[in-house]
Amino acid sequence: MALLTAHKRVLHADLQGDRIRAASGSMVAVEGNVEFTSAGMGGGGGLRAALKRAVAGESLSLMDCAGHGRVHLALDAMDVLVVDLAGDTLTVESEHILAHTEQLRLDVQFAGLRGVTSGQGLATTTVTGHGQVALVSEGPVMALEVAPGQDLVVDPDAYVGSRGQLSMNLVSGVSWKSLVGEGSGEPFSLRFTGHGLVLVQSSER
Amino acid sequence: MTYPPGNPYGGQPGPGGNPYGQPQPGYGQPPPGYGQPSPGYGQPPPGYGQPQPGYGGPPQPAASPTGTTLNPRTLPDDDNVNPYVFCVSLNGDWFMSKGAMLAYYGDVRFEAVTEYSSVQGWVAARFSSPVYVQDWVVATGHGKVLIGDRGFDLNSYDLDDGNLTIKAGNLCAFSPQLELKQSIVPGFVTLIGTGKFIASSNGPVIFVEPPFRADPEALLGWADCPSPSVHHDAQWMTQNIRAMISGALGRASGEERQYDFTGTGTILLQSSEVAREDPAVLRLVESQTQLLTDSQAGSLGQRLIARAQQQH
Amino acid sequence: MPFEEVNSKVVRARVSPASPVLARRGAMLGYSGQVTFRPVHGQGRGIGGFAGAALSGESNPMMATEGQGEVLYGYKGLHVTVLELDGGAPLVCEADRLLVHDAGLQTSVQFLGSGGIKQAIGGAMTGQGLFTTNVHGRGSVALLSHGGAFPLQLNGTQVGVDPQAYVGHVGQLTVDLAAKVGLRDVVGRGSGEAFQLRIGGYGTVYVQASEQKF
Repeated sequence: MALLTAHKRVLHADLQGDRIRAASGSMVAVEGNVEFTSAGMGGGGGLRAALKRAVAGESLSLMDCAGHGRVHLALDAMDVLVVDLAGDTLTVESEHILAHTEQLRLDVQFAGLRGVTSGQGLATTTVTGHGQVALVSEGPVMALEVAPGQDLVVDPDAYVGSRGQLSMNLVSGVSWKSLVGEGSGEPFSLRFTGHGLVLVQSSER
Repeated sequence: MTYPPGNPYGGQPGPGGNPYGQPQPGYGQPPPGYGQPSPGYGQPPPGYGQPQPGYGGPPQPAASPTGTTLNPRTLPDDDNVNPYVFCVSLNGDWFMSKGAMLAYYGDVRFEAVTEYSSVQGWVAARFSSPVYVQDWVVATGHGKVLIGDRGFDLNSYDLDDGNLTIKAGNLCAFSPQLELKQSIVPGFVTLIGTGKFIASSNGPVIFVEPPFRADPEALLGWADCPSPSVHHDAQWMTQNIRAMISGALGRASGEERQYDFTGTGTILLQSSEVAREDPAVLRLVESQTQLLTDSQAGSLGQRLIARAQQQH
Repeated sequence: MPFEEVNSKVVRARVSPASPVLARRGAMLGYSGQVTFRPVHGQGRGIGGFAGAALSGESNPMMATEGQGEVLYGYKGLHVTVLELDGGAPLVCEADRLLVHDAGLQTSVQFLGSGGIKQAIGGAMTGQGLFTTNVHGRGSVALLSHGGAFPLQLNGTQVGVDPQAYVGHVGQLTVDLAAKVGLRDVVGRGSGEAFQLRIGGYGTVYVQASEQKF
């Protein structure tokens, strides 16, 4: 069974005759006998998912790594976090996905934020199933709890992903516009309500 | 006044007497024996942080992927969450750099300093730097505000009737008990009074004492010492004609020109940054061109055009 | 004199008349004491080294730091790895990875890879110089990397390294540029992953956690 382990800014993927999927171009070193093939876009949702993805602007180019050995994966010296999934769902911005084990399913979910011109796209990726997914982030990820009466507001650029029964709304307004520089960033933020965890990175860009 | 600032891992003061600041175990240094599983990277090192959420609290949604769940009760009060994130326990007002906010809990509003000062008269008195005022907001209300800056290290500094001058682009937030003034050295601001401020650095801050000469790009700030003078390396200048010419306008490599600190005090250094455009520097330099006569201004303009063309 | 690692991004060198250092220009962060800086052109010692450097484009503007004092070095927030060379096998790396080294160490330019012209062209296509710098002798070297360099120990084994992520190596190692056909279709984002450095033998390879060249 392929095993993902985070070592500071590098992910070790130990393969024993099986395969994982990783972001294209993320291999920095490889020991053993491992073959790399393009896996196209997304997590095997087929053409429809790929199309959906293109429409949503949520693009993720993946490669298959298969064989025996250890693959060292990294992206732009970002921190690596391995999340274990046991049948539950993780929502994550696709640019933060470094790798995932074969059994997990990636899909696109529309966030339903209409009329928003965000660089982050209108959709996010959901990861479902049993296995491991490795995320990259600028600095370590913080898991911030959201509960009834305990809403959380997040800068869109600091948002990595979420887990639980959450709904996401826009916070906008004159006071918010004054927070971001003219022409830089987005004049809104994300307000999370419900019950769950929001993953936030330590950089706002 | 207390600096070096507290160890960013907690409330403990930095190692006293060591002018070079924080030897931080397990952070930054390459771990011994790469390939060994390092204990839980990405999680706070022991002794650094938050009490685990107590049982009897609200039901936990799912196991936290980071091993630690943060909420308004477990987030620290005015302390680092990790080396790169600081949590301000807001109860009233704080000055914050635009874009420093990562996330917040509670009832918090952000107002432009310029607008807020028309409502609250004290604001203008505390923030006396017209060059920087448009890059700042006032966070007002009650809650926990998480701030960060490009993933850089964040440190908090406690001033006790003191003053500290810091690179304007690295200042993230400060409490309204402090007063901000523009330094005579371009690109730097001085904080005066008693209170707390948060500043970022590329890598941990290095503390040194005068006499010391610092590269202008590596200089993060200074406290208690007189403003620096500019030192030109005579040997470098005579041996490197190019450096001599460009020394007049611009920068060759940095080795020929340093900020010279004398007297007593503390100097703060960081690894040199990837240059980030500071919009305030343009406003600052432009305002100083009023010193020039018309013909001087004209020849400066020609030289600047020539420089811009050279770089293309 | 070994360099002191002040933190993950800064080293301190103690300079004396008997032990000057050579550093990348623009990497001096500050100093105390009586220290002077002198530009040094080209790489290595003597005409041969310089010509080689000019040919290969491996030349990197350096400066000598002389006198008596303590000097801090760092560069644009990149991580620094300090290596102690024991006078045995040289350190092989790209010139722009060198932050600072003892002036007593000698540098020369080497043609990397043994696959002939065809592979040389392949190497050029990756945007990676085929010429590297050899650092010989006994002393300290500080290397730059994006996000930190991690060592991979080889004991007669082989490792494939992304040329963009390769930092350097020490030991009895052979380096070949290999075009991995299987990787060709993986190339997105201009990552250059279709080419790998195949490194085998006995020694240590240093790799950074990023495909970002600088």
